[in-house]
Amino acid sequence: MHFTQNLEDEQFRQEVRAFIQANLPTDLAERNHRGYHPLREDIRQWTKILNRHGLSGGNWPKQWGGTGWSPVRQFIFDEECLFAGAPPVDTAGFKMIGPVIMTFGSEAMKAEYGPRILNGDVYWGQGFSEPNAGSDLGSLSTRAVCDGDEYVINGRKIWTSFVETAEMIFVLVKTDPEARQRGISMMLVDREAPGVTIRPIHDIGESHSLNEVFFDDVRIPASNLVGEEGKGWTYAKFLLENERAFSAEWPRNNANLARLRTFLNVEQADGQRLIDRAGFAPRLAQLETDLLALRWLSLRALHEKAGGQSRLPMGSLLKIRGSELLQKIGDLQVEALGCYASYVYPDPLANAAVEKAWAPGPDYAPGIMADYFYRRATTIYGGANEVQRTIIARSFLEL
Amino acid sequence: MQADHAEDLASIREQARRLLVDQATPEHLKNLLNAPGSFDQALWRHAVEQGWPSVAMPEQVGGLALGWSGLAVICEELGRLTGALPLIANALTAHAVISAGISGHQQLLEDLTSGALTAALALADPSDSGICSPGAAKESNGRIDGVKALAAFAAVADVALVHGVNERGDGLYLVHLDQPSVKRQVLEGFDNARAAAALQFEQTEAVYLGGAELVSEISSLAALATAFEQLGGTHACLDMACDYARERRAFGQAIGGFQGIKHKLAEIYCLLEIARGCAADALDAWQQQRPDKQQLTCAARIAATRAYNLAAQENLHVHGGMGVTWEAMPHHYYRRARSLALELGSVAYWRERLLTDLGLESTTVEVGGSA
Repeated sequence: MHFTQNLEDEQFRQEVRAFIQANLPTDLAERNHRGYHPLREDIRQWTKILNRHGLSGGNWPKQWGGTGWSPVRQFIFDEECLFAGAPPVDTAGFKMIGPVIMTFGSEAMKAEYGPRILNGDVYWGQGFSEPNAGSDLGSLSTRAVCDGDEYVINGRKIWTSFVETAEMIFVLVKTDPEARQRGISMMLVDREAPGVTIRPIHDIGESHSLNEVFFDDVRIPASNLVGEEGKGWTYAKFLLENERAFSAEWPRNNANLARLRTFLNVEQADGQRLIDRAGFAPRLAQLETDLLALRWLSLRALHEKAGGQSRLPMGSLLKIRGSELLQKIGDLQVEALGCYASYVYPDPLANAAVEKAWAPGPDYAPGIMADYFYRRATTIYGGANEVQRTIIARSFLEL
Repeated sequence: MQADHAEDLASIREQARRLLVDQATPEHLKNLLNAPGSFDQALWRHAVEQGWPSVAMPEQVGGLALGWSGLAVICEELGRLTGALPLIANALTAHAVISAGISGHQQLLEDLTSGALTAALALADPSDSGICSPGAAKESNGRIDGVKALAAFAAVADVALVHGVNERGDGLYLVHLDQPSVKRQVLEGFDNARAAAALQFEQTEAVYLGGAELVSEISSLAALATAFEQLGGTHACLDMACDYARERRAFGQAIGGFQGIKHKLAEIYCLLEIARGCAADALDAWQQQRPDKQQLTCAARIAATRAYNLAAQENLHVHGGMGVTWEAMPHHYYRRARSLALELGSVAYWRERLLTDLGLESTTVEVGGSA
């Protein structure tokens, strides 16, 4: 395997750093270092900056407005951006529906959405899960019926992240209720179309992101069907495999562990560093090892994907390792906070009143605690880890 | 345990369970979680009517003298429904005052027994990384200065047992919280339903009750009673997860049929039974005043914390997306598991303490590592 980084890639990393230094606004970086959900406006601003330099498309092929970078370079780019405090670009658009449209969509669909995604002008919500079809996505029951040159959609989607500020939703619907997976199609729905109702779900974290979406006789043009009718399941698997590849979240794991490492080395009020206390060092070492292993696993998966060598679902491996590592880093972060881990620190940018009522504690505490609850969802979303392990057993081990 | 006690305990358990199921409705619990410093006044009134604060108290102050096993029974039932009452703090404050053998506190003891007054245990320091070391509250000439970390019930309590230091070393102090020199800081926490507050003292009157030995006894007994609360919570999480696994269907069957789920639940059951054994052993050791009572308490604390942490986390996971919603109940237990694990010192602290009690020293013990 030849996926070790070479000198040109390291040179590329230096160029990326220089680019970020020159172009990433400091206030934006400061906000994103805090550990809260990035603000929509910050994502938009950064996406536009990237797009002006022709960089927002990242790993999209050149003819679709991408950079033509190798997957390894894309990885380096994402790693450096997040580490520097840039908000990640809209995952749903860039990494999920974008590649699906570019691979399976009509020329008209590519022309309509490609440039808008690249410029941060359209955000997407993912309408896959339903109350009775989560990890078992094949059981979905939202229905679309063809009526002349339109489809009429009825049903209900759940766990639709950030849809309240999205322009578009991509949904999986049944076009043939008799067939199971072959009866599924993928469609694009305008969030403001009549009959679309969004109900926020109050979650256990400190900031709102989850929603339910109701479709009540929603009419969309037939041209909003992605690819062909009945192929939705194929497109969804393509998309989910992409989602899982990114749900290793190496850049986020990397940034979180770097913050923890720094915090453990800071002298506390009692003059001691936590890293000198019993037990912190061995656990940090274990996390560092896991992080490095995840890095190589991610690079190897990208390398094999680029070379077309592997048709195996590496994404499932990455998803399991990445999501569980995020939780483990979170657990040690919270332990390191000791008594300050009794408090929560709501995002003052979301509610100006809260900063005054913030608990005392190190600057390190606020983002950690705000994210701690939300992180419990990482082993659930994108297909529960149990399902990923079943996929691994089936695909790699033929069990 | 005497036979008549066993009957008393069974009837207390039955009564507690009925009352709690009635009172601790999801809506009620969610209201409490919503606001920082919430204290369940309604439940406390019922508890006082039923005589719960008196269960472990000796007869000479009006108690039922059912010992720590009486307290354990109620704590376990409270834990099952994430109820929060200062029963442990009241019992241990009385115990510490009686142990100190100082006079003039008969009225206080009777009020703690009847529930007319409430107490808080302020043992941890804010600088602690889950490890207890009392540097932040200092006493001299009967006055105490400094701060204590977020302590359960400190937002409402009348008195507190405070772990501080004086020139001779560790000390346990009785502090009346209605003095103007006491500041209580109530802030948004992740478990708002425990009436928690951080305490700040400035030349506050404090009564010395004892030294390191008493501190150690009080924190052990608190850990012992809390272990039963943790057991109740663990059991409730396991029941809830099993119910959901039987009812929720995916891929054409109940998810409890999948090994990925059922092995997880079996693992929780194992940790629960280990924790139950440790807690029962430790309780017995205290009742018999056996010399290994401190060590067994450390084991009970560690086992109960591990079991509740895992059960609360995996119950939430088994509930899938529902598990991370405010509406569902798993997060109540997740929050409570975390606050009970934090309040009396982390697993790392109790491991160190166990090793010290065993006459061993360690510098490489794992911190946490609860899974």
